[in-house]
Amino acid sequence: MALDYRKCAQEIVDHIGGRDNVAQAAHCATRLRLVIKDNSKVDKDYLDNVEGVKGMFESNGQLQLIIGTGTVNKVYDEFLDITGMTAATKDDVKAAAAEQQPLWKKLLKPIGDVFVPILPAIVASGLMMGLVEALGKALPGFAGSDWYGFLDMVANAAFVFLPGIVAISAARVFGGNIFLGAVIGLLMIHPGLINAWTVADYVAANGALPTWKIFVFPVAQTGYQGHVIPVMIAVFLMCQIEKWLHKHVPEMLDLFITPLTTVLLTSYITFTIIGPIFSQLETWVLAGAKVLVRNPIGACAMGAIYPWTVVMGLHHMYNVIEAGMLAESGLNTWMPIASAANFAQFGACLAVGLKAVSNKTKAIAIPSSMSAALGITEPAIFGVNMRFFKPFIAGMIGGAVGSIFGALTGIGASAYGVTGIPGYLTINNPLLYTVLLAISGGIAFVLANIMWHEEGQPAPAAKKEAGAPDAVALSTETGIVKAPVNGKIIAAKDIPDPVFAQETMGPSVGIEPTEGIVYAPFDGEVVMVFPTKHAVGLKADSGIELLIHVGVDTVNMNGEGFEAFVAAGDKIKAGDKLLSFDRKTIAKAGHPDTVIVAITNGYDYQDVKRAA
Amino acid sequence: MQEFSYTIKDPKGIHARPAGIIVKKLREFSSAAVVIKGDDIVDLSKIMPFIGMDIAKGDKIIVRTEGPDEKECAEALKAAFRENL
Repeated sequence: MALDYRKCAQEIVDHIGGRDNVAQAAHCATRLRLVIKDNSKVDKDYLDNVEGVKGMFESNGQLQLIIGTGTVNKVYDEFLDITGMTAATKDDVKAAAAEQQPLWKKLLKPIGDVFVPILPAIVASGLMMGLVEALGKALPGFAGSDWYGFLDMVANAAFVFLPGIVAISAARVFGGNIFLGAVIGLLMIHPGLINAWTVADYVAANGALPTWKIFVFPVAQTGYQGHVIPVMIAVFLMCQIEKWLHKHVPEMLDLFITPLTTVLLTSYITFTIIGPIFSQLETWVLAGAKVLVRNPIGACAMGAIYPWTVVMGLHHMYNVIEAGMLAESGLNTWMPIASAANFAQFGACLAVGLKAVSNKTKAIAIPSSMSAALGITEPAIFGVNMRFFKPFIAGMIGGAVGSIFGALTGIGASAYGVTGIPGYLTINNPLLYTVLLAISGGIAFVLANIMWHEEGQPAPAAKKEAGAPDAVALSTETGIVKAPVNGKIIAAKDIPDPVFAQETMGPSVGIEPTEGIVYAPFDGEVVMVFPTKHAVGLKADSGIELLIHVGVDTVNMNGEGFEAFVAAGDKIKAGDKLLSFDRKTIAKAGHPDTVIVAITNGYDYQDVKRAA
Repeated sequence: MQEFSYTIKDPKGIHARPAGIIVKKLREFSSAAVVIKGDDIVDLSKIMPFIGMDIAKGDKIIVRTEGPDEKECAEALKAAFRENL
C-alpha cells in the first residue's frame, strides 16, 4: 500500500515539537533534513516508528530522517504544507545549522522576516507618495486639486496603517494568530487615540495629553502611527502570551478565553510599558537632537543616528524641531541633515540593487532606492539596508559626512516635510544642496558597494581559484588521494606539530597551502564536517578514509575564517569544493596553516605511498 | 573486560588531535577497545567514527577494553584521556 504522505508528515511535525521548533527544512535524495531548535522536544523513539521513516540520525546539527527516493519529496511537500514553511535549499539548511550568529544579527533577523512579505505593499506606495508630495510642492495649485487628494490618499494608505500591516506580518513570523496580530496593530493606531503625527500640535493647543488611569498606570491616549519597532515588540509579546494560553487553557474554553486574555493583556502592557518607554525615548531623542544640530560635530552624529531613529519610529517628532527653527530664524537647518541621512540610504540601497545578482533582491532594492531618493526611506531601510546591515552602516557614514557638510555651509530650507530630491523645492541654495546629496549618497553608494556582497555571491578574494590540484598526495593499493589543497607537499615529519608529525592519525603528508580552498581529493562521501569547520572526514569509493585538517590548533578558532560547503552524507566528486579558509585569519590567530592529510584507516593497507 | 568512565574537560570536546593520540595509544596494546556515549558505541581503533561521535565538553563517556592486556590498556587509555581531554 502506498504511503500516506500527509499522515507521515503530520506525525513527523507532531513529534519534533511542532512548526515552531523547526528552523529549516530541506530534503536530499533520500532524507528529510531538518534543523531543530530544541532537540529535547524531539520524540526520537516515536519518530523511528513512524510509517515511512526508515531511520533517523542526527548529524552536524541536523535531524535527518531517511524516507527514501521518490517518497521523500512528497513527504517534504506535505511537511511544508502542514508547517506553512517555505522550501529551503540544502544550502540554507546547512547555513542555518552552521549558524552561530552574533546577537545583533539575531535581533535584526526578525525585522527582515517581518518586512520582506509586506514590501509589495510599501515599496510602490512609498515611491508614489514621494512623487505625489513632490508634485504637490512643485506645481502651484496641484496640492489642492482633486487628483492630489485622491492620489495622496491611495499612496499613503500603506503608511498611515503601516502598524496594522506590520502587526499581521509579525504575528505570522512569531507564530501567533495573524488576526489577533491585526487587532493589536490596528488598536495602536485606533482613530480614538490622538494621531502620533499630530501629538505636538495637540500639546501645543491643549497643554497636555489626555490619559486614562487604569490600575496604577496612566495610559496615554496617543497612537503609534509611523511606528514599527513598538508594534513588533507588542506583537511578539502577544504571540508569547497566546502560545502560553493555548497550552494551558482547556480546549473547551480556548476560543473564548485565549483571544480575549491575549488582546487585553497585550494592550495593557503595550500602552503602559512599551508605549511609555518609547515616548520617553522620543523625548530624549528630540531633546538630544535639538542640542546636536547646533554645531557641525553634533550634526555629523545626528546624520549617523538618523536612520536608527527611523527604525525606532521616532523620526516623526522631528517636524517639531523644524517648525521651531522656522519660527525662530526662518531657516530650517534640520532638513539638510535629514536629507543627507535619507539620501545616503538611497545610495546604499541603490548599490545593493545594482550589485545584487539575484533578481529578487534587485526587484526590491531598485524601487526602494527610488522611493528613498524622494524622502520615503522605510522600504529601503527595512526591506534592504537593515536586512543586509552593511549597506545600513554605509548609509550611516554617508549621512554623517553629508550632515557635517550641511552644517558647515549653513544651508537650510524654507519649509519642512520634504527631503531628498523634493527638497530642492524648499532649499535656499540648490547648488550646495546638490553637493550635499552627492556627498552623502555617493559615499554610501561606494561604501555599500565595497562592504556588501550578496550571500552566496563569491567574495572577490575567492574568485581567483586556481582549480583543484592534480598532484597525488597519498596512495594505497586500492586508490589514490589527490592533494586537496594547492601548495607544496611536505613530509609528515615536517608538519609543525609533534602529534601530526608522528602520523598519529595514520599515514600522512602536510601541504603548505598557497590558496585557502580544500577540494575533494577523490570520489566518495563526506563522513563528517567538524562543527568548527577546520577539518573534514571523508570516505573514498575505494575505501580509503581520509582526514583533512586545516592548520594546527585551529580548533581554537571556533570556525572563524572557515566555511564549509558540504555536510555529512554528501556525495563528492574529485575537485569539488569542500571547505574554504582564510589564511590571514589563521595567521592572525597565531597558528600554522599547514594542511594535514591523513589516511585514518591506514592499517587496512599494506602499501601506502606518500608524495613526500 | 575492563571499564572506566571519563567526563570530557576539554572545552573543544573530542577533536582530531587528541583523538589521534588516544587511537595511537590503543595500538600499543593487543586489546580491543570501544567508547560508549549514550546509545552510541564505537570501535576506538577507528579514528573517524570516534571523532564523529561529536563528544563535547561535559559529556560522560565509557571506555571498555578487552584482551590479554586489557588492564594495562585501560590504565594507559585513562591516562591518555586525562592528559589530552
